[in-house]
This record gives sequence, C-alpha cells and structure tokens, in this order.
Amino acid sequence: MSESSPLLEARNLYKTYRMGTVDVPVLRGSSIHMEPGEWVAILGASGSGKSTLLHLLGGLDTPDSGEIRFKGELISSHVRGARNRYRNRDVGFVFQFYHLLPELNVLENTLLPGLVGAGIRGDRKRARELLEAFGLDHRLTHRPRELSGGERQRVAIARALLNGPEILLADEPTGNLDAETGQEILDLLKREHEAGLGIMMVTHDRSIAALADRTVVLQQGQVVPDESPVSH
Amino acid sequence: MYQFLLTSRYLTSRIIPVLAVAAVALCVALVIVVVSVMTGFLDMVRDSGRTLMGDVVISYPVVGIPWYDDLIEEIEALPEAAAAAPLVDTIGVLRMPYPEGAGKEPKMVQIWGVDPGRFAKVTTYADTLMWPTIPEAARYYVARDRLYGPVAKSLDRQQKIAILRASGYEDTTSMSDGQVADLATALTQPEWIDHLRTVVLNSPDVIRKTLREDQLETIQSAVEAEIENDFDLEDNYREDGLTMRRNGQPGMVAGIHVSDANYRDSEGQYKIGRNGHWWLPRFQGALTTIPVDASGGTLEPETEVLPFLNEFSSGVFPVDESRVMLPIEVAQRLMHLDEAEIVDDLDPTKVVGVEPARATMILVRGQPGVEPLALRERVREAYRAFVTRVEEAHPDGPRPPREGINFGLNVLTWEEQNAAFIGPVEKERALMRTLFSIVYVVCAALVLAIFWAIVYEKTRDIGILRSIGASRPGIVWIFMLYGLVVGVVGAFFGLLLGWLVTSNVNGIHDMLAEPPEWLAWGLAVATAIMFFWTVIKLFGGRILPVVLGVMGTLVLGVFTTLIFLLDAQGGLVIWDPAVYYFTEVPNDIDVPEAIITMIGAVIFSLVGAAIPAARAADIDPVRALRYE
Repeated sequence: MSESSPLLEARNLYKTYRMGTVDVPVLRGSSIHMEPGEWVAILGASGSGKSTLLHLLGGLDTPDSGEIRFKGELISSHVRGARNRYRNRDVGFVFQFYHLLPELNVLENTLLPGLVGAGIRGDRKRARELLEAFGLDHRLTHRPRELSGGERQRVAIARALLNGPEILLADEPTGNLDAETGQEILDLLKREHEAGLGIMMVTHDRSIAALADRTVVLQQGQVVPDESPVSH
Repeated sequence: MYQFLLTSRYLTSRIIPVLAVAAVALCVALVIVVVSVMTGFLDMVRDSGRTLMGDVVISYPVVGIPWYDDLIEEIEALPEAAAAAPLVDTIGVLRMPYPEGAGKEPKMVQIWGVDPGRFAKVTTYADTLMWPTIPEAARYYVARDRLYGPVAKSLDRQQKIAILRASGYEDTTSMSDGQVADLATALTQPEWIDHLRTVVLNSPDVIRKTLREDQLETIQSAVEAEIENDFDLEDNYREDGLTMRRNGQPGMVAGIHVSDANYRDSEGQYKIGRNGHWWLPRFQGALTTIPVDASGGTLEPETEVLPFLNEFSSGVFPVDESRVMLPIEVAQRLMHLDEAEIVDDLDPTKVVGVEPARATMILVRGQPGVEPLALRERVREAYRAFVTRVEEAHPDGPRPPREGINFGLNVLTWEEQNAAFIGPVEKERALMRTLFSIVYVVCAALVLAIFWAIVYEKTRDIGILRSIGASRPGIVWIFMLYGLVVGVVGAFFGLLLGWLVTSNVNGIHDMLAEPPEWLAWGLAVATAIMFFWTVIKLFGGRILPVVLGVMGTLVLGVFTTLIFLLDAQGGLVIWDPAVYYFTEVPNDIDVPEAIITMIGAVIFSLVGAAIPAARAADIDPVRALRYE
C-alpha cells in the first residue's frame, strides 16, 4: 500500500437496518479502498450488503459508525451540501434497473446531473458527445420506455459520467440484461476504465468480477480479499 | 433548473395534475361567481340610489316644506351640488284599466309628483323610460284607438245603450236601460272602441239606425283606413313621458310592473298581456288619495283621472312594481299641498295671505367626484340658510320645519336613507365571503391529497434525483413549483370559468326558469346512448368502463329527470325579483375580488403542496431506489 492516501477509502463501516422490530446488521466493520483509475469488483451473495456498501461509498446513506474518505476528506461527516456535491460531481451511480426518469427523454435524462449541479446551463454538448460515443445519437428525443434494456443502461452510464466523476459506482449493471447485451455494457465500461475511470462494481457473478483489476468478497458483513485464483 | 423541466413534464404527461388544476379552477370559479354576484347586487343597490333619488335627500313627509323653490335656489348655489328637484311623495289607489268589464282592479301605488325637467337632472329618469315608440305588439290596437276613437268618444247615452245591447256584451238583454248606462260609464275608451267596432262589423243596420250622419261618415272612413292599412301612427310617447304631459294635459308614467298585464319572458324581454292589448299608454287610470291636513286629520278623498303616458323601468323591483310618477302640481292638488289663498275667517271673499305650495322631498345630485357625505353637510348648511331667509321674508307665513324641532325632517344621503336595506346586503356579502373562504381550505386539501398521491407515485424518481446529487431543498422546490403552476393555471382557468358563468348568469338563470325542450330531449338521448354503451361494455370483460358507464348513465338520468320535472312544474326561479329587488342578476366580475381569490388559490395550492413536498424531501433515497 502506497504512502499517499487512496482515492476512496472506507474503514470499519457498521450499518444495521431495522426490519420491523428486528435489527438486521448488514455491515460489521467493512473496510475497502480503491486507487485512482482502479476497477474494484465486490462479490457477494444476494443480501450480503453489497448494495448497502455501495450506497455508503456514494454518500447516499450514512454508516452507523466508521469513516469514508474521498481524496483524504471525510465524506461521512460532510455537511449536507457537500455530500450532494460529492454525489453530483465525484461519483456516478449506475443501477441494475437503470433508474431513468420516465417523463424525460434520453438527452434530458443524461443532462440531469448537469442541471442539478450547474443549474440552468447544463452541458448539452458533453451529453451529446457521450450519447454519440455510446451509439445513442439517433435516440436523443426518445423516452426510456421506447428503448431496449441495453440502451437504457447505456443512457444511465452516460448520465453517471456527465459531470466527469472519478469513480463510477455500479450496482449489478448487467443484472437485468441478457448475456450479449450485458457484454456490450461491460465492453463499454472497460473502454471507460481504460480511459482512466475508476470503477467500483458490485456483482454476484464471478465471471464479470474477473474483468476488474481487483476483486473483494463481502461476507458476513466484512470485506475480505478474494481467495480464488483469479486476481489482478 | 431541473425543477422547471420536471414540473413541465409532470404536468403535461399525467392525468393527476389535470385533476388538481380542475379542483383549483372549480374552487376559484365558485368564489368568483358568488362574490361577483353579491358585489354586483350591492353595487346595483348603491347605483340605484343615484338612478332613482340622487345623492342627498331632504325629506319632511306629509306636511312638506313650504317655499321649496327658495331652498332649491339655495342648494343649487352650492358648488358641490349639480341639481336639485322638488318632489311630493304619497300613496294612493290606482284604478287599473283591466280586466274588461265594469269591475276594474284597484292597485295600491306610491305616487311621486315631480317637476319632470328638474327631476331628470337629478336622476337618470330619462334613461328609464320604457317606450320610445309604440311597441310592435301594440301597434294594431293603437291604430284602432286612433281610427275609431273620435266616434267612440262622441257617443251619447242612448247610442251607448244601443251599441252595448247590439254587441252582445254580457247579459244586457235582461238589464234595464239605466243598468246598461251604468255599465257603459264604467268601461274604458279602448273597450268602447272594441264594442263599437264589433257592432260596425257584425250589425251594420244597428249602426245605421243608431249613429248620426257625421258619425257614420267618420266610421266609414275609419273602416276603409283599417282595411287599406292606411293610417298615421306618429307618436311622441317618449316626449310625453319626459314632460309628463300629452297635448298640454298632465298624465302618469307608471313603473313597468305596476300593470300586472306586463311580464318578463324567459329571454328577459318584456311582454304585454293579450298580445299588446293591455299596453298601458292606451289607457287612463283614476288615482285616488286621501289628503291629510297639517295636524294629521284626514280630508275628503281626491281623485284624478289621468292618461298613462309611458312606463318606466328602473330595474328596482319594488319601485317598478308600485311607483307612479306625475307632474308635481297634480300631486300637490291630490294632497292639498298646492298654493292656496288664505281667506279671512269672517269674510271668505277677503284674501289675507297665500299658503305656499309644498314639497315633501328635495332630491339633490352632487357634482361628479363629490362625496355624498360632504354634500350632505353642505346641503344641511344650505337648509339652515334657507330657514333663516324664509323666516325673514315671510315673518307671518308658515315656517319651514327646523332641525332639532321637527324630528320628521331629515337630510340624509341615499345610503343613509336606505340603511336598513343596504346594511343587511353588506353583512350578507361579508358572511358569504367568510363562508366561502372555507373553499380555500378545500382547495388546499385537494391539492394536498393529489400531491400526496403524486409524491407516492414519484418516490423512485426522488431517489434517482438524490443519487445524482439533488439536495432536499431541491426536491421541495420541484413540488412547490409544481404546486405554484397548478395554483396559477387553476386560478386562471377558474377566472375564465367564473367569468363565463358570471357573464352568462342571466341566460343560465332563465334556462333554469324555463328549461328548453331540446336540452331535456338531448339529455334523454345522451342517457339512452350511455345506457346502451354500458350494456355493451358489460360483455367487454373489464370493470372500469362499466362503472364509468353506470355512473354516467345515472348522472345524465338524474339531470334529464330534473329538467323534465322543472319543465313540468314551471321552472326554477332562484333570483326572484320580488326578493332581490332587481329584475336582472348582476353579471359583472368583481375584479379586485377575483384577483384576491386567484392569489388566495395560488397561496393555498402552495400550502397544500408544502406537506407532500416536505415528505418527498424526507424520503430515504436508498429505500426509494429499492422501491420497484
């Protein structure tokens, strides 16, 4: 481990969810880190808390205890405005179910983080370039319901990348797609990774995790290095 | 801002916001219609003051104010006063020309003796005259009156008896000549013309035997003129109404509803009974009053037979129903308020003085822009000056009533004079406004409920927006902006709807009073179509169309039944002129009130949106995203 602090680092995260009257501990002292431009895959069975970990890393949720640092800054204790900015600029989320806004067209969905962050202007040029690069230039004014699953996920990735984040947080990005379309998405991610994008990807599929520089496993609420022979 | 983008998309691609806009629009329209009608009513009450009485009224009933010309001179010298007019106000019994036959209906009327020229300067009397010329329906009757009138008037007693017997009118065969003659005197001139004409057309031999040579000639030319439709119907009914004189002789101008033969049809047009036959200016009426002396004792009744010159419509029902206007000198004569010589008690041929004519009211109109209250104060000063002046000029004559001594003397603005009437209307409007403020709460509750549903539906969107960095206030803003747009758009449509209803309120009211048959049958057909559509949908396998169909059929059916019921029982009159004083429902939008209502709707839409907006902002984004 280098002396300089990693790009993103989480230490000793605890998170418990309350289901009815029962407390369900999800994370029990998880720690994880990633370097700039690194692709980290988090493997885990469903219900192991992978998504929760990703939400905590993305500043969408706060841990019960433990700390998360981005470029050495503690984001878990950020004031609200700063955390919103962090989600808007420094990271980008991609979800299994795409999560596009049904009322907005492809271009508007892509532009949304720009509108949220920068206000009225929004970087239309950048949005168009991204969509063009993802092969969606003929779909700009279509509504999400008119697109295929793969197209939707490409729009979602374009949206996540609009503000030029250093980290893409991907939650089972191919989980809802057939193998071929899933591969297209993975190829796309690979290209972006090669261009310097750091990726933190949650998956339960070992073959997908194999694309990453490094794989960790989340079990019993803790992050452990992957013991399988496939490594970076 | 992304809030604008989302608001515009949420508004245009969903049915729910349309419901919210409709709810706000209905609330706004409701308040605008109710308050506009109430305010319009109040304004009409206030305006009618100027229309009918001027701004300030000096009154001393029954006894009247002597030397009133001096008082008017004193008032008209005021820079604040535009004009003043004397008036004698009393009540009497008017013998109406109807029904046909000897027994005529008497009617209690309020008599206003006015100086027509000065009265028209103080009030808008000239604009209220009903008949600028002979109405179409009455032309035929007026023509007959002109053609046969001279002969009918020249008949002597024997001729009248002969004609009445020949016309087959009532049972004259079993009557003595004396009885027939009595009957003859009770009939009006137009009735005589009818009888004469009947006999001329049906029993020419009776006519030849009865009438004199010159009368026969006139009748002959009248019949020819009638057949050839060759007669001259020039008239000065308007001029007669304005001067209250015809050929130099005084006459009466009655309110449009004094004659019970006049009525308003469902289009708001005045109709004259028996297709124009009962047009009042064809007739004359006998006016009877009971004069009262200065100490309140009654004198012998006085009667004047006067022609009806025209009719007036002030729009104020109690006035139009009971008031008869005539020249002031006639009213003074009827009430013994006219100028009289005072004779020596012992020697009635020796004149010792003059009792001046009196007026029971002086109407004053202010210059434009002068407040009635300010005018009232100046008029009071003028009255005091008048009293001093008269007491110096006529130390032995009758004294004018004085403030503080003659309590019957009042100098009041029109509003004060009618405070008992205006006050309750004002209170009623305040009450209505308060009650209808509840509508705002309803409006807020509707927006709240609808927005609650929208937030529920948009939970996932909220999670997505948060995941890309939207702040909580940002989320609040989406829904507040949404509420603002719903409020503004709703208020605008509400104004439009309110304006449409208010400006057509008389048409709607008349339609309720006499629902048109096409509406009833149209609704019946629509009900039938809806019913069959529902029956067909019954086999379609889906429940929603059936439920909608049943509801539609029921609603249409109920409306159809209501309209038919209304038709059967003669319609629904909500705005009864007997209750509301005016014959028309006010139909002007109350602009300031409409603006306040619209602003209120926007504010309460925002209030309604605030709670769902706050709830939306508090949604846990992680849960929202998991929500699938």
